Amino acid sequence: MQESLLQLFPRDRQPFWSHVFRSGESIREIRLRIDRPVLVQRAEGECFLDEQGNFTNDAGCAHRTGQRELEEILMHICHDSPYAFEDELRQGFITVPGGHRVGVAGQAVLEEDGKLRTIKYIHYINIRIAHQVFGVAEPLLPRVYRDGQLQNTLIVSPPGCGKTTLLRELVRRISDGNAYGEGLSVGVVDERSELAGSYLGRPQNDLGSRTDVLDACPKILGMMLLLRSMSPRVIAVDELGDDRDVAALRAAAACGSRILATVHGTDIGDVADRFPKLGEAALFACVIVLGKQGGQPVVKQVYGGEEAACAFSGWNHDRERMPGLRPVVSGAVRGKAFGFAHSGVDFGNAHE
Amino acid sequence: MGRLLALRTLESILEMLMSEIRYGKATLPESCGQLAQRLPEPYSRCLREVQLEAGKGASFQEVFCLQMEACMRELPLKREDRELFLQSFQGQGFRDGAMQLKRLEQGLSQLAGRIGLLEQEQREKCRIAVGLGAMSGLLLLIILI
Repeated sequence: MQESLLQLFPRDRQPFWSHVFRSGESIREIRLRIDRPVLVQRAEGECFLDEQGNFTNDAGCAHRTGQRELEEILMHICHDSPYAFEDELRQGFITVPGGHRVGVAGQAVLEEDGKLRTIKYIHYINIRIAHQVFGVAEPLLPRVYRDGQLQNTLIVSPPGCGKTTLLRELVRRISDGNAYGEGLSVGVVDERSELAGSYLGRPQNDLGSRTDVLDACPKILGMMLLLRSMSPRVIAVDELGDDRDVAALRAAAACGSRILATVHGTDIGDVADRFPKLGEAALFACVIVLGKQGGQPVVKQVYGGEEAACAFSGWNHDRERMPGLRPVVSGAVRGKAFGFAHSGVDFGNAHE
Repeated sequence: MGRLLALRTLESILEMLMSEIRYGKATLPESCGQLAQRLPEPYSRCLREVQLEAGKGASFQEVFCLQMEACMRELPLKREDRELFLQSFQGQGFRDGAMQLKRLEQGLSQLAGRIGLLEQEQREKCRIAVGLGAMSGLLLLIILI
């Protein structure tokens, strides 16, 4: 991983960053802002970098990113070919080798119709370091399968709580086969190149031996395309955007494919409010809600079987009559650490 | 003849680069990697090296000019030919794909102009050679008679 991170920086800055990566393996995010101290987010917390690349809590002696340095980094990330990243820049991020994600901010340039054409004067860069955490899906597998059949599963989570990591791991385990079901062909529509972290079309993360990835393709388009071309038994998509995505999921499910999806949200009610069609569709037989506890990603609730469908429809149609949704997961699983801070995974007894 | 052949190869390198950018929206180092698979030596080796070095953190423009200069020295090209080709790669890094293509197009048309001149020159040389051959044949005939 260190190698793929080093390649994000121009050659003359590599000794500095090499020192940083050698001394901090738990780095999650690097924030570069013009004329501001370089900020590093680690598992241990936030800190700055001094001129030698050492971690420090003193902002006064921190290394500040100059305009030229920032421009050079960005140009290098774009392989001296920013034209090739036009669409990515419009979305505000670029996926780089290793599956890392470089977010950018600056001044927006709009089209005549008000759409975003590009971002210029990019003075803020956020490098989110990809972590593939093997084993995080293991305790949830018994919830995702029922009578040896994979259930349509939705992962609900606020940003930064590991929904993509969990989905990636679920895809890998389902694709390779596990104790609860045989290996299934999985089609992944990786619109933001986050799941597979593809670079030049080659996945940088392990998504299993029966997985086909359609990279950088809009979900609606991609799901239909994969269904026609690869006939996957399972379709996986990250971050549902609106009800049109839900409609596409319904179409995929109608074709006989199982669905794995994630969506931003704090709880099932929040999601039901934003996606009214989810309740109507009664699409998901398993809903996993993630959250944070003490700064650590945790599984908050797991709804299974009819409860999952009821949960959505209850929120949609008669919220008063369903004041408290009944999570079907045991207390032992709820609130357990999600496994980012340590190598071992501890969900407790997910079998109830 | 060797020079003309080398110039035509350089012309096709630019055309293929433009095609990679226009059709596949490929980055410059990525395009070099693609071209390396299609071109003969020494171009192939040099372009592969460009992709490798650029991936390791070197500036594309610097490494491309360095590698291509070394590659073109092995070819029967004049200094002005080499400079003309490398000119197309000065000031890269356009955010607008159309502008990037335009830059390469300019280089392509200059190269095509040079090839046109050389071909014309060669045609004239050929005509002179044919004329001289005919005249010397005639002279030989007169002497023999």
